[in-house]
Parts: sequence; structure tokens; C-alpha cells
Amino acid sequence: MSALLNIGRRVGKHLLASLPALFGVVLFTFLLMRVLPGDPAAFFASGPNAGQAEMAQIRETMGLDRPIPEQFVRYVGDLARGNLGQSMTTGQPVIADLAERMPASLELTLFALVLALALALPLGILAALRPNSLLDHGVRFVCTLGVCVPTFVTGLLLIYVFYYLLGLAPDPTGRVDIFAAPPPGITGFLLIDFLLVGDLAGWKAAFGQLILPACTMALFVLAPLARMTRASLLSVLGSDFIRTARSVGMSDWRVVVVYALRNALLPVLTIIGIVFSTMLGANVLVEKVFSWPGIGSYALDALLASDYAPVQGFVLLIAVIFVMVNLIIDVLYGIVDPRISLQ
Amino acid sequence: MSFDRFAFTRRQGLKAVLASAAGGALGAFGRVADAQAQTRAETLRHVLAGTVNTLDPTTPGATRESFGLSTAVYDRLASYGRKQVNGSWVFDFDNIRGELAEKVDRSADGRTFTFHLRKGATWHDGSPVTAEDVKWSLDRAVSAKSLAAGQIATGSLVKPEQFKVLGEGVVEVSLDRPDRLALANLAVPLSPMFNSTLARRNATAEDPWAQTWLKENTAGGGAYVVEQYKSGQQTILKRNEAWKNGAGGMLPYFRRVIAQTVPEAATRANLLERGDADIAIDLQSSDISALEARGKIKLVATPQINGFTAIVFNTRMAPFDNPKVRAALAAALPYEAMFEAALFRRGRALFGATWTEAPNGTFPQPLPFRTDPAKAKALLAEAGFPNGFKTTFSFSAGVAAVAEPMATLIREALGAVGVDVSIQKLPPAQMASMEVERRVPFFISAGTAWLPAPDYFLRNYFTGDHRWNFSGFSDPKLDALAQAARFEADAATYEATCRQMVDIAARDVPMIMVWQPNQDAVMAPAIDGYTYWFHGQVDYRDLRRA
Repeated sequence: MSALLNIGRRVGKHLLASLPALFGVVLFTFLLMRVLPGDPAAFFASGPNAGQAEMAQIRETMGLDRPIPEQFVRYVGDLARGNLGQSMTTGQPVIADLAERMPASLELTLFALVLALALALPLGILAALRPNSLLDHGVRFVCTLGVCVPTFVTGLLLIYVFYYLLGLAPDPTGRVDIFAAPPPGITGFLLIDFLLVGDLAGWKAAFGQLILPACTMALFVLAPLARMTRASLLSVLGSDFIRTARSVGMSDWRVVVVYALRNALLPVLTIIGIVFSTMLGANVLVEKVFSWPGIGSYALDALLASDYAPVQGFVLLIAVIFVMVNLIIDVLYGIVDPRISLQ
Repeated sequence: MSFDRFAFTRRQGLKAVLASAAGGALGAFGRVADAQAQTRAETLRHVLAGTVNTLDPTTPGATRESFGLSTAVYDRLASYGRKQVNGSWVFDFDNIRGELAEKVDRSADGRTFTFHLRKGATWHDGSPVTAEDVKWSLDRAVSAKSLAAGQIATGSLVKPEQFKVLGEGVVEVSLDRPDRLALANLAVPLSPMFNSTLARRNATAEDPWAQTWLKENTAGGGAYVVEQYKSGQQTILKRNEAWKNGAGGMLPYFRRVIAQTVPEAATRANLLERGDADIAIDLQSSDISALEARGKIKLVATPQINGFTAIVFNTRMAPFDNPKVRAALAAALPYEAMFEAALFRRGRALFGATWTEAPNGTFPQPLPFRTDPAKAKALLAEAGFPNGFKTTFSFSAGVAAVAEPMATLIREALGAVGVDVSIQKLPPAQMASMEVERRVPFFISAGTAWLPAPDYFLRNYFTGDHRWNFSGFSDPKLDALAQAARFEADAATYEATCRQMVDIAARDVPMIMVWQPNQDAVMAPAIDGYTYWFHGQVDYRDLRRA
């Protein structure tokens, strides 16, 4: 009970502490968007007779005709009511756009992360157990390759081989087969939704669409995860308690998995948190290449068009996610290393 | 708008997959589409780079793709015809036919048009099209704060009093002066006809023209009905089986059209080559030759007869306020090399003419700009820059594929005559605002005129204060000629007026229209009937699968 209370107190403290940071993010993005060169009115005034009148009209629609402090007060007021503004690029409210696209990005990122972990942890462990062996060098090679080939190259390459040449993958456009019936909209996570309605063929199709972009992303983040696992495990394996454990004749497996790995996981956990947040915000290119209807490509389009509201909404969302992920990682720390929750 | 399920179900697909995909080694990649081959033949899948951001083409900020889509969903009173040029279809500006109107009477003085609506025409909801609907739509076009007002004002259509209901199915449009472009303006995507009963039902006090509602809903009577609209992702259209307003009253071939946004050009090309997509008009020009060589697709290349790419001088900024400097640079530019390297000669050149006085009044036409470094040096010396000067050449990152090689060649060629050029590549939005504020001295721009009449071209791109006068050019004589040509009824006088304007454009060089790039439409070999339209988008009503 007291442990739960402890966790609850820490969560509350953490959330409170993140409020100023979130406000800072809101203010900073707001100002940044307005300081950046590029006038959205000029960009969107594409009518055949785009004159000053049309641009003034667009500025009025976007509220840009008012002084900046007033714009900010209105923006914060809107935020408080849960209104992130209107996107000019899609013509929809930003909150609706983000809500619709968030599950796509989350599903892709989570799946890619799981895939990456499933590869990176064993590889890291193997590399740490046999440092400087051929195996270790092999793992290093794979990681380096993954991190130094840009994601869009990996993506295009995978599409070329598996879709264009071999015809194994479905066409790399979005989350579902365009000719199939629309997926059931329950959670927005297609793999879950199709299971919920018991549609196995739909599940397979969605999985087929997911696998190439997820591999692309997983390859990219393989390196930090595997390298961190290796380094962390290596230092733990050299510590006194491991020598003691070995000297009392514990099995190798028990020593590595139960004692060494648990102690080595702390830095890996931190990295997972960072990697996850980064993937969510930085998978723009993967989303573009695979026409994935996620938030990354949405924000990029908006940025190129100087469409303020979606970019601000996106940054705020990522900031909130970052706070949440850190919170979860913090709680997990306490589970992995009880000493932390005592402090 | 309705969100009907597809006519076929996933179950049917499942059965077929289970029957065929024995083993299931490729289970993850099971292809549901196979079972729907029959429906697939009647479905057109268009992959596009941009997005449709509104279903109402008149929404401020509407994308080009939205204009294209609206042509299929809404009817207009009239439509341009189409003609075959060198084996491919292009729109025919000189041949306007009725669309929602079956007959148009033009009064002798050219000041009144009487539209007779086709009897029995209905909206998508089945209600009959009335003269009041047309009146409401035209009133909306001139009154609402939308893109339409600016456009149709170029045809002297400016106030509701100009539109009168004469009787059942008869509407009269009257003009103060006989504007040459009035009728043409009623055939563009910005003058769609709305089901006014439905639209008005969804209007509010603040939004009397239902602009908010029409962004995501439709109230039309065109060839297709919107079945599913996901802004920024895809739009699915279903054929309107009751549609009779096409040429010859024919229904379009495709029962269903999927317009899907696929941002990556390489992916669009892959989809076409694999036969999974049917048409794309925005592939990278560098990929086109390779695609054509592999022979899995059909290429329809049409010079964009109403468009151009231009090298622009800001005539309101020194030293380009001096016509001699502009003429000097025009003589120094490496036209042939740019045409070759940047466009792979895929288009119609607008340079290299040899005349000194315009032979005719068509525009755009090749102007007498030729590479002549000696002349450039002489002109520079005459203008007071014997040792050249420094300047910046800017372009938008959005057109980098063409502009980058151009910029490099320009820098090299101008360097040879002493003009030191630095290259500036800007994000699209920034480039747009710098252009509008006239802060870039020397840059690349491009334009397309929906109404490709010579006077419209010259008036829009060489006069006035709006953004399409890229160079900020102002010449009292040209201004007067352009205004006069608009209302000129006599063909010979009109031609003479245009010739004079072309001469001024060639002499004062506010900008150099270098070429009309091809529109490369890439499609499945079986797709037929593709037409290049003035709006540059695919009109699904033209296409069929042979």
C-alpha cells in the first residue's frame, strides 16, 4: 500500500513539475511559428486572382490580423477549452486530425519498438557475453548499418525489393488495402480492432501493411538499444556481485538473466523512453514513404505550408507524450530498482 | 456525403484468399484485392502527391486537387470542349458547350446570356435542378467571401443583380459591358452549381452561404457522388447513375474512383508499374523517361498550353528597374542548355524566336530571346554596369528538381558577362511571401491561366498589383491595351491590340517565359481518353478502361 502511495505521490509531483515545461513549449512554438519566415496567407492565397483582399481574408480566418499578444491569449484560451485551432491544409480542426492520426503513428511506433527490442536485447546480450568476438563485431556491423542508412532509403529499398520486385508485400500505401472495406473504428489500433471483431483476414492485411514500415523504423533504432544493452551489461558483468554469484556456483543463465540483466536494464530503460519519443516525432520520412496517415507527415505538410495551428498542436502533443513516457519510465525504474522509489 | 460500405465485403475477399493462398507462408501479405478483380476493372485508382483539403472548390486556401475533384462532383452551367492535338486530348477554349444548361443564347450586343437548364436534371438527392438553384449559386459566387468572387470578376460578373430568373429553368446573366470572358468564367471549377435547398438548410446566420458545411459535405449534381472523404488521405467517388450532363449525355465509364494521396513520387511510380494504380499526373520528370523505357505504363505528354515557367526580374528593385539590364540578362541566359538539363526538352520552348515585331497576337508564343553574350555585355555597359553587378537568384524548394539545374547554368552564364549570382533556395511558404512582398530581385516562377485568352494572360501576368504580376511590371500603354482588349468585340482589332502587347513584353522583358512544360500523365496501358484540362487536374469523366 505504501509503495503504491509512494508511486502516486511521485506521479503527481512529476505531473506538476511538467506544467511549466509544457507552458514553455506552448509559448516557444507559438512565437517560433510567427518568427519563422513565410506568410501562410501568401501560401494559401492560390486563387487565380490572389490579391491583397484574398490574403487579408485568409489572415482573418486564421486570426493573424490581430496583435501577437492577443493571438497568444486567444490561443491559450482555446487550449484551455481543448481547441487546438483549425488546419488550413486539411480544412479540419487540428484536434480531430491529431486524434484520427495518432493511433496510426502510435501503432506503427509501438510495433516498431517491440520489433527493435526483440532484436536489440538478444543481440546486445550476446555481444556482451562474447565481447570482441566475431559475434560482437557482427552485431556492431548490423547496428552501424541500421543507423547510418537513412530511413527513407531503407524504406524505399524494402518497397523496391518486397513490393516491386518480389510482389510479396501489399502496395505500400497506408494502413489498409484501399480496395478493402474500411476497418472497424474502435480503438484506432487496427491490429486490436480487427481482433476485437474477429476479422482474421483483416488483421493479416493490416499486419502486412505494417510490417515494412515497422522494419524500416526498427532498423534505425536498433543501434542505440543494442549498444546500450551491451555496454550496460558488460559493466555489470564485471562487478563484484556477479563474481560472487559465479563463485557460489550459480548457473550462467541465472547469473546473466536474473542478476546481471536486471541491474543492466536501468540505462536501457532510459534509452527506450528517449527512443520511443524520438520515433514518434521523427518518423516523418517513414510515414511519407509509406503514405502512412500519421501525425509526423501531417506536421511536416503543415510546417511547409506555414500552417500554424497544426504545427503548434503537434509540438504540444509530442511534449505531452514525452512527459507521459518519462513518467512511465520513472515508475518502471522503481520496479526495476527498488532503491529509487525509497528516496 | 455518405459513408456507405463498399459493395463487396471483406468476407468475400477472405474466402478467396483462403482458397488461393494455400500454405499461408505469405499469410501476412495476403491480398484481399484479388477477389475483387471484376469491381477493380470498373474502379479507377488515382494516386496524387497533393491533398484534397475541401469539397467546396471556392474555399479560400483550396488546393488544386480540390479543384480537380470538384469538376467530377459538381456541374457548371457550361464546359469547355476538348480536341485532339498530336494524338492526345486537350481542352478546347474556343468551343464552349452547355453542361447543366443545354442551351445558351447570347444577345447580339454580347451583354446578355440566357441559360436554358436541361429538362429533367436532378441533384444527387434526386430533387430537380431549378433556376432558383442556379441564381443562388451565382449569387453565392459573387457575394460569399470565397475564391469565386475574384475569379468570376475577371468576366465582369460582380453583383447578384446581374442574375435573373426568367422562368422555369431559364436564367439570364447580364453584363454592363460585353466582356469576352464572361461565359468562359462560368465553365471553371470556381463557378459550381449548388443544390440551394440542401445548402441553405445547412447555412447559419454567420455563414449564410453554408461555406463551413460545404467544406465537408456536397450539394451537387455532377457525374460523381462523394462516398468517402478523408481529408489529406483519400476521397472515394461513386458514379451518379442519373447524370446526363456530359458530352452526348454519356455516363462516365468508371463506377468508382479512388483518389488517394501518396506523397512519395517513387511509390506512385511503383504502384503504376505494378498495375495497382491507374493514373498519376505528378511523377518526377527525371523518372519519366525510365518509366517509359520499361514499357509497363502509358505516357501521355501534353505541353501545358495555358501554363509557363518564367525567369522573373523584380522591376521595382534596382538594378532590374532598368529595362536595359533586363534585356542584357535576357541575352545572356543559356536557354538551350537549361531546356536540355532542367526539362529534358519535355515541353514547348518559348524562346529563340527571330522576329522583331510580333507576327501575331497569340500568347504565350516564343519571344525573340536568344543567347548572345556579346550583346549582353554591350547592353550592360550601356546600362551603366560595364563591370557587372551582384544579385541573388531565388527559387522555391518545391520546384527544386527543375530550378536547381537552371540556377546552376544561369550562375555560370551570367558569371561570364560579369554578373555575380548567388543562389537562394527557399521553403515554399517563405518563397511565396517574399514574392508577394516583392523582396526577391531575380527568381523562378510559374503560372497557369485558366482562361488562356492572350489578353487574360497579359492582363494577369503583366499588369496590376496582385501577386500574379510576378515582376511588378507597370507600363501605362500595356495597362490600357489590356483593359481595352477585354471588351473588344472586333476580332481584327483584338488581334492587333494583343500583338502590341506582345511587343511590349518582348521589348521591356519584365519576365522571360522560358517554356511550357509538358504535363506527363502516366497511366495503366488500358486507360484511355485522358484529357489535359486548363486546371491541370484529372477529369475522371473523360477516362475509360479499354
